[in-house]
Amino acid sequence: MKLRHLFLVFALSWLVLQPAAEVRAELVVVVNARCGVAAMTRNEVVNVFFGRNRQFFNGIEAQPVDMPDAHPDRARFYSGLVGKDISEVNAYWSRQVFSGRMQPPPKASTTEDVLKWVISHPGGIGFIDLSKADARVRVVYELTP
Amino acid sequence: MTLSNVFSRTFWAHLLKRLIVACVLAQSIALPAIAESESAFSLQGFGTLGVARTTTDDVEFVRDLSQPRGIGKEWSPLVDSVLGLQGAWRIDPQLEAVLQVTSRYRYDQTFYPEVAWAYLKYDLTPNLSLRAGRLGTEFFMMADSRWVGYSFLAARPPGDYFWYLPFYSIHGADAAISVPLGENTIRAKAFYGHSNGQIPLADEQWEIAGSPMIGGYLEYQMDAWQLRASYANIKFKNDLPISAVMRKLIGRGMTGAEAAFLSARNTRTHYYSLGIVYDQGPWQAQLMLNHIEQGSNALESSDGGYLLAGYRVDQVTPYLGYSWVLSRQHGKPLNALAAYVMEDSHSEQQTTFLGMRWDVAKSIALKAQWDLVRGDSTSIFPYRQDHRETWNGKMDVFTLTMDFIF
Repeated sequence: MKLRHLFLVFALSWLVLQPAAEVRAELVVVVNARCGVAAMTRNEVVNVFFGRNRQFFNGIEAQPVDMPDAHPDRARFYSGLVGKDISEVNAYWSRQVFSGRMQPPPKASTTEDVLKWVISHPGGIGFIDLSKADARVRVVYELTP
Repeated sequence: MTLSNVFSRTFWAHLLKRLIVACVLAQSIALPAIAESESAFSLQGFGTLGVARTTTDDVEFVRDLSQPRGIGKEWSPLVDSVLGLQGAWRIDPQLEAVLQVTSRYRYDQTFYPEVAWAYLKYDLTPNLSLRAGRLGTEFFMMADSRWVGYSFLAARPPGDYFWYLPFYSIHGADAAISVPLGENTIRAKAFYGHSNGQIPLADEQWEIAGSPMIGGYLEYQMDAWQLRASYANIKFKNDLPISAVMRKLIGRGMTGAEAAFLSARNTRTHYYSLGIVYDQGPWQAQLMLNHIEQGSNALESSDGGYLLAGYRVDQVTPYLGYSWVLSRQHGKPLNALAAYVMEDSHSEQQTTFLGMRWDVAKSIALKAQWDLVRGDSTSIFPYRQDHRETWNGKMDVFTLTMDFIF
């Protein structure tokens, strides 16, 4: 009897949560509207977020901001961009950090904090939901879901 | 020194105390991950708890030549376990100071913690950085993160490729540059410095401190592909401690002629390597090749390589690899003693290894690996305490590890 109750609770909560997953908005990469970058290719975005290139074409220093593992956008971003799981991205950064090559980008815990970072740094670049983008930032890359 | 000594309570209590102090410090220094507060201090760490065993007691298996003793048929934590702590202080946006302390089984048969790196890094431009101090060396691709198990796929770096590389750091400087080329990137690095450390040989140490090293690499990154060619050399400042080893082994030291023939002092060893890495989606693959040209008659020159591929399914990545090493003598040995010494540096074997990495929780990976070493009975250089009469060149190695970062 108890087991059936438990099953019902799970089934119900699954039904309730299901629509929420469906309406996930599109993730986009945004830069500071004044930095002069109009659009980026997937490879250029990868190069900046993996620290392979720290400068935009016009010489401005790229200042990427990441998000913590706990934020669902992080997993979506890296799986959409390079098909990698978060653990693989973290493994990559552990190699960079402990070999002394470089530190990973700082992490902003909310989309609002990502926007704040991008607006307050000339070369700021981050990933957010398309619906959160405003005039202060420019969308330079759209992740194909 | 016995295992029980290495893993003595006081040692671990001491290490644990240090670690706790460091963690408490880190908690009080490191601010929460809010982008706006780019904290000046960071403290991070990595480690591996691993056990391994082989199927023979004829030789002792080691991770690389920096380890004086190895493991046999008994499960042992000796060769793979490590703990590392790294503190970084961003002095200003361009300047960073980094200190890394690691504890692992080392040349003197202890786990005594040592300073792995201690350097200042200055970013001249966002894509050009200079470092000076005690630095990790990248003789081969990924050589400077060989102990960060969490960062790579297999349980340990393939031995046939990395055994010959007991060098970990230099006192010197390096420069690294990144040049974007359309969507691709060219990277280059050059380093120069003096080696730092000892290499164990039987019960003696080969002092390599002060030996000058120079090297660099050129790398091309194209989407998921990474190609790298690298070169380095070291000019040894001291001779191998062969005389002392021989005195214990056969009761006499070397004659002048023998010593001259086997001398390593002022000889230069060259390291060439080529690496190709593919890394995208669930696939990871690496092909590495190296050639080591020894300057001394006492050490045989060698060619080695490995191929490794893994495919991730959810949080589990099964992988399969194949590695090999083959060395050859420089010339005709002077006499029986010289021949004995030269044979000691021979390697001729292939290893098939298969395993699985399971990213079981955030920042923790469990790995299980099975190595099938198939070699010639003359292949003894990669091992310790060899019994040449009974060793047939074949063994299996079983490894279980837990890698973590914090």
